[in-house]
Amino acid sequence: MHSSMILMTMIPLLTPIIITLIKPNNNLLYPHYVKLAIIYAFTVSMLSMTMFIFTGQESMISNWHWMTIQTIELSLNFKMDFFSMMFTPVALFVTWSIVEFSMWYMSSDPNINQFLKYLLIFLVTMLILITANNLFQLFIGWEGMGIMSFLLISWWHGRTDANTAALQAILYNRIGDIGFILAMTWFFLYSNSWDFQQMFILDRTPNSFPLMSLLLAATGKSAQFGLHPWLPSAMEGPTPVSALLHSSTMVVAGVFLIIRFHPMMENNSLIQTLTLSMGAITTLFTAICALTQNDLKKIVAFSTSSQLGLMMVTIGINQPHLAFLHICTHAFFKAMLFLSAGSIIHSLNNEQDIRKMGGLFKTLPFTSSSLIIGSFALMGMPFLTGFYSKDLIIETANTSYTNAWALTTTLVATSLTAMYSIRIIFFALAGYPRFTTLILINENNPKLMNPINRLALGSIFAGFLISNCVPPTSHPQVTMPWHLKLTALGVTILGLLVATELSLMTNSMKLSTPLKTFYFSNMLGFYSATTHRLNPHSSLTMSQNLTSALLDLFWLEKSMPKMTTQTQISASTTSSTQKGLIKLYFLSFFIPPMLALLLTI
Amino acid sequence: MNPLAHLIISLTILTGTTITILSSHWFLAWMGLELNMLAIVPILAKNTNPRSTEASTKYFLIQATASMILLMAIFLNNLTSGQWTINPPHNQTLSTMMLIALVMKMGMAPLHFWLPEVTQGTPLIPAMIVLTWQKLAPLSIMFQIFPSTNTSIILMISILSIMAGSWGGLNQTQLRKILAYSSITHMGWMMAVLYYDPNITILTLIIYIFLTISTFMIFYLNSNMTTLSLSHTWNKLTWMMPMVPLMMMSLGGLPPLTGFSPKWAIMQELTKNNNLIIPLTMAMLTLMNLYFYMRLTYSISMTMFPTSNNTKINWQLKHTKPMPLLPPLMTLSTLMLPLTPLMLTN
Repeated sequence: MHSSMILMTMIPLLTPIIITLIKPNNNLLYPHYVKLAIIYAFTVSMLSMTMFIFTGQESMISNWHWMTIQTIELSLNFKMDFFSMMFTPVALFVTWSIVEFSMWYMSSDPNINQFLKYLLIFLVTMLILITANNLFQLFIGWEGMGIMSFLLISWWHGRTDANTAALQAILYNRIGDIGFILAMTWFFLYSNSWDFQQMFILDRTPNSFPLMSLLLAATGKSAQFGLHPWLPSAMEGPTPVSALLHSSTMVVAGVFLIIRFHPMMENNSLIQTLTLSMGAITTLFTAICALTQNDLKKIVAFSTSSQLGLMMVTIGINQPHLAFLHICTHAFFKAMLFLSAGSIIHSLNNEQDIRKMGGLFKTLPFTSSSLIIGSFALMGMPFLTGFYSKDLIIETANTSYTNAWALTTTLVATSLTAMYSIRIIFFALAGYPRFTTLILINENNPKLMNPINRLALGSIFAGFLISNCVPPTSHPQVTMPWHLKLTALGVTILGLLVATELSLMTNSMKLSTPLKTFYFSNMLGFYSATTHRLNPHSSLTMSQNLTSALLDLFWLEKSMPKMTTQTQISASTTSSTQKGLIKLYFLSFFIPPMLALLLTI
Repeated sequence: MNPLAHLIISLTILTGTTITILSSHWFLAWMGLELNMLAIVPILAKNTNPRSTEASTKYFLIQATASMILLMAIFLNNLTSGQWTINPPHNQTLSTMMLIALVMKMGMAPLHFWLPEVTQGTPLIPAMIVLTWQKLAPLSIMFQIFPSTNTSIILMISILSIMAGSWGGLNQTQLRKILAYSSITHMGWMMAVLYYDPNITILTLIIYIFLTISTFMIFYLNSNMTTLSLSHTWNKLTWMMPMVPLMMMSLGGLPPLTGFSPKWAIMQELTKNNNLIIPLTMAMLTLMNLYFYMRLTYSISMTMFPTSNNTKINWQLKHTKPMPLLPPLMTLSTLMLPLTPLMLTN
């Protein structure tokens, strides 16, 4: 039953892709095909999800024996456990909205069909990754997303920034892929299997090496600290791409990988600590960066980065189910935030700077309301979607006795979430208009309103629904004193109040020269400026010196040919420069005979 | 010069060397050397210009000094052994004295400084005689006394000669000087193998003489004195263009040509006697000879120097210097390698 359901989910999704191969002509109805395919898939997957919730029966299907390499057997097999069954409908629902939104947002693009096909392939690769039951299949999804993100970020390939952003994304992902391939190799050598079940049974407490490689892979894909700069740069892509990339695909793939491998990680404290620390650093660092950005999409992007860090922290405290819950809830409101941002940007004639917005609450009431809902959900406002996962995460973290510094860092970052969210609301929506007089502002198109509407509903109720479906045994039901219970809410409200006050103050006050801390935040911690410039520059300079100075000039030129020439020239000139004075010759002729005679006497 | 005097002088040169080669009496051999030396001085000074006079004076002083040393060694030899027969002296000091004297006469390092200057100071044909015929007499005496000489000294002198010849030649643009340095190198090769197989020395000497005479002939056709002037050869002797590179490579000792034959024999002989470093050093240093011969080739047959238009018809004119010996000499000096086994078996 499940197996046919999952195939029925996948096949409609593949249909529009195959259609373009058979009938590549530009079809005006193609966007609708894509949308319909996703709706069908969503409906079917909802059915299978409901059945899964009802029976709780995990299963695995092995469709096709792919190949056998010596003793390792690769087959096309899908895993239908809690994670894949829950995430598939969420991803499909979010993508449905995004695709419909793209039909409005990208309507003037001549290649909209291709764009939607790319979005669809992007989604399919994510679903492959989610449902994969072996590392090889997972790797296909993993790499497929890498390629599709490259194509989608550089969609407007006429722009240099879009190209460099796409290159950044693919290069940073490549670093992560090295980790993934290392882990695959390790499992190939030591477990002799790429099936999850077999790998997990074979070693419960494995070597840290493959786990660290997987962590590196997740760092690249989920833009954790160190490999994070590609994520804000990826905002050069079209807004629907950003929405899809940040909500239900790509960036959560890294976190999802770690969740998949959690059975191996839960007994390895080194990896746990590393994950926790990295997540904490990421969530704080990116939250700090988000504080001073002026680009609307960049703030939202940094908030994604921060939430990804939070998910990592959750895995670091051994709660993969909570992390997964946060992935699902986050998908709704993050997609909606991006769609609302897209609506604003479109209405303001491609203006992304929040300093040039203001007063949009009056002109774009629907978008503004959904933006506010999304922001509040992001902050963890009680009984919105974000609350159900985020509050649980913070509470679990507060009652856990692991690394207190990391948890404090996370708490600070949570408070900063409120700050940058309120900053968007304050600058973009409240106050007086600071944009040029326009008559373009319009949010009546159903292709714009319906997706946002659906996602807004999702942002309000999805958390409640999904968190009710999480098996109660999967995470501890914590008990705690009331002040710990209120910490998450408290720090958020604190951040909110501080941000409101600061924004009001700065609005009516002339800023003195910015502080160094401001530059740190505004320049993204100088991370890109140093790593993107210093490292390549130094290694390229070194290589240039090595090749030109050491190899070419010295080794191939100076050491042999030039040295030989110089030696011969000097030997030649010193040995044959003569004055032609016979007296000197006779004097010099005196010496050798004497030496020779001395030698023989 | 008076033709009669010239004839007599030329005959004396021939006679002197022949006496030295043929005699088995030390005094007679010395006399032949003196005759030869006294006869060549007017030949060297034939062009009565200061350069020639200076060259002949230098030649006279050097040869006289060398003869005196040789004569002293002969007298001392007579004193100790009581005989005048040319045998290897039993006393090594005496044979070293003789060696030094002969080395000075042949113009080998480290007593070679006079040779390039004397050669450069005289016209082409006397220079050719100095570099070829004049080597015969001293070398014939060396051939007779070598068993009692000190091998280390001979090898040292040989290597020094090859070094001096190779490096000295690199620094020259004057053709006669280049050939003088080339002669120093070749003498080094000859002396190096003398102790091990004197027949190879003779072979080397013969081939060296062939090569040097052919080279001088080529230069003589156009009266070339400098490398630059060689670049006009194409204009007059177009048929020579492909021959000259072969000649030069033969002089440098490149394999399929005659010049390789003595080098091969020498290196084989030295290697047979467990000398590995010495032939290797010699071969490496001689590469520089090959290089400056190549430089001459470049000027003669590989480039066309810009010249004014009205000179470009010289090949149509009749030759004023017929050279009937040149073709056989060039054939000998390029194509004789296959005959090597014949020359070495004796």
